[in-house]
Amino acid sequence: MNAGLNEYLILSGLLFALGFFGVLLRKNTLAIFMCLELMLVASTLAVVAFSRFNGTLDGDVFVFFILTVAAAEVAVGLAIIVALFRRRQTVQVEELNALKN
Amino acid sequence: MTPDYAGLFSALRPEISLVLGALLVLGLDLTLYRRHSPGGRLQLALWVGSLALLTAGFQVWRAEPGTVFGGVLIIDQLAMASRLGVLGLTLLTFGITQGSPARRQPAEYVAIMLLAASGLLLMAAAQQLLLAFLALELASLSLYVLAGFDRTRPESAEAGLKYFLFGGMAAAFLLFGFSLVYGATGSVELTEIARQIAAQGSNPLLVVGLVMVLVAFGFKVAAAPFHLWAPDVYQGAPAPSAALIASASKLAGFTLFTRLLWPAFGAAAGSATWLNSGAGWFRAVAALAAVSLVLGNVAALAQTSLRRLLAYSAIAHAGALLLGVLAVGSAGPGPLFYYALTYGLATVGAFGVIAVMETAGRCERITDLAGLHRRSPLLAGCLAIFILSLAGIPPLAGFFGKLTVFSAALHAGGIRSPAGGLAVLAIALSAVALYYYLMVLKQALVAGPADGAPPIKVPRAATLALVTAAALIVWFGMNPSALLGLF
Repeated sequence: MNAGLNEYLILSGLLFALGFFGVLLRKNTLAIFMCLELMLVASTLAVVAFSRFNGTLDGDVFVFFILTVAAAEVAVGLAIIVALFRRRQTVQVEELNALKN
Repeated sequence: MTPDYAGLFSALRPEISLVLGALLVLGLDLTLYRRHSPGGRLQLALWVGSLALLTAGFQVWRAEPGTVFGGVLIIDQLAMASRLGVLGLTLLTFGITQGSPARRQPAEYVAIMLLAASGLLLMAAAQQLLLAFLALELASLSLYVLAGFDRTRPESAEAGLKYFLFGGMAAAFLLFGFSLVYGATGSVELTEIARQIAAQGSNPLLVVGLVMVLVAFGFKVAAAPFHLWAPDVYQGAPAPSAALIASASKLAGFTLFTRLLWPAFGAAAGSATWLNSGAGWFRAVAALAAVSLVLGNVAALAQTSLRRLLAYSAIAHAGALLLGVLAVGSAGPGPLFYYALTYGLATVGAFGVIAVMETAGRCERITDLAGLHRRSPLLAGCLAIFILSLAGIPPLAGFFGKLTVFSAALHAGGIRSPAGGLAVLAIALSAVALYYYLMVLKQALVAGPADGAPPIKVPRAATLALVTAAALIVWFGMNPSALLGLF
């Protein structure tokens, strides 16, 4: 059996939703970070599927850039998390409450 | 399409100057200036950075209008004006970077600001989904670093992390939205997307994609209900970073947003069926604007921290700017650009005052401003101009920005249309805004200084930046056609 465009889109939508709820529900910054990456990967899957079924190459080119951007995002994000951990000794979001009125 | 690399190179000269400037700043700091004092290194970095910005500005000025590289970039009046605006606001931000806590790695700070500026310049001219995404990410990643740059204060890292998490989520939404738009129209070029939408009309994939793009931009411009990061980031980030996030990034963000909504999806918004159906983006943007206006203005009333007050007022201004986006269809981008630029000037100025005060002591609560007129008449005078402009008092530019945006919104569909109703709401809420802005000014201009509060010495560069910003606000307020006549 062959997977069609709809199957790919459903899978990518599911992955995206999984990542989104992970970002909302997880308490550990690193886990939230992984869920963010999952959302990006879900978008990538949708782009590739569209590119395949539209018959244009734009989407495939898009993917290379998304992967590069995701890598840059990991670098910046982990740097910020490390900087924060050095000051606060925690990466749990519920303990990040220094900024209040 | 034959690739026109020479044309691409000449169109990208401003960005190239900025990136070269960033590399030069880093290189000089690592080699010749390695042994100098932090103050000297910051001076050098700022001088080289300013030179790069001025070079870029000159090249933007000289750029040929037209589309570049088969429509990837477009250099039109809006792109040119908002590129110059971004460069000017970044230059003012450099002026207030003097003596801020970011002295430990001065060259890195300035270099990342230049990279952020180059991302913002690309955003202002992007006309293709891939380039728009890349430009937005270049600018955002730089801004995350800038927000978390001050490693001596835990709040800065926390602000950086919150900005990063919310911004990363916005980027994922934007990307998913773009992928659905690409799937529905089969193209990543905005002009081709517009043609496809006009031909095939509404389509479920397209609607979902559009909603996700709207959510992402709601995050980026801090429109309620996606504003949660803004107060924390404005409070925790170093003052120059917050100034850049609040001004230049907003200007470029709204330019890109307008370009996505009107030229690309505008074909759909123009048809009556789309406008009247529940799924039209016109209504969604109007709802975002209404929620931002109400929430921003009401929540600002309860703030005691100066930076959080500015953040909630920024949310309210984002609502007014979204109203300007709605009016673009009938009035062109002039009112929106005028509002965004003059708002940016006033915000950079307000954060500049905060930056100077922080080097001289502390400036967290609004009551820390007490007696500013005695401690530094210059700062108090400039702050009064910035705050009154934010509040929209004539003859300052903030007043005229509100006037053009609201009148354009009222003209767009009359008082009974969603845009017209929003304009009335915004005018009513301006009265609320006046209250909390005047509370700030009361502390700065009327209240006496706390015991033993010393006079504040304003560095020369900061003086220049603040006076320039204040003068521009007065001048644009007196001569609004200088900006509005561009379009």
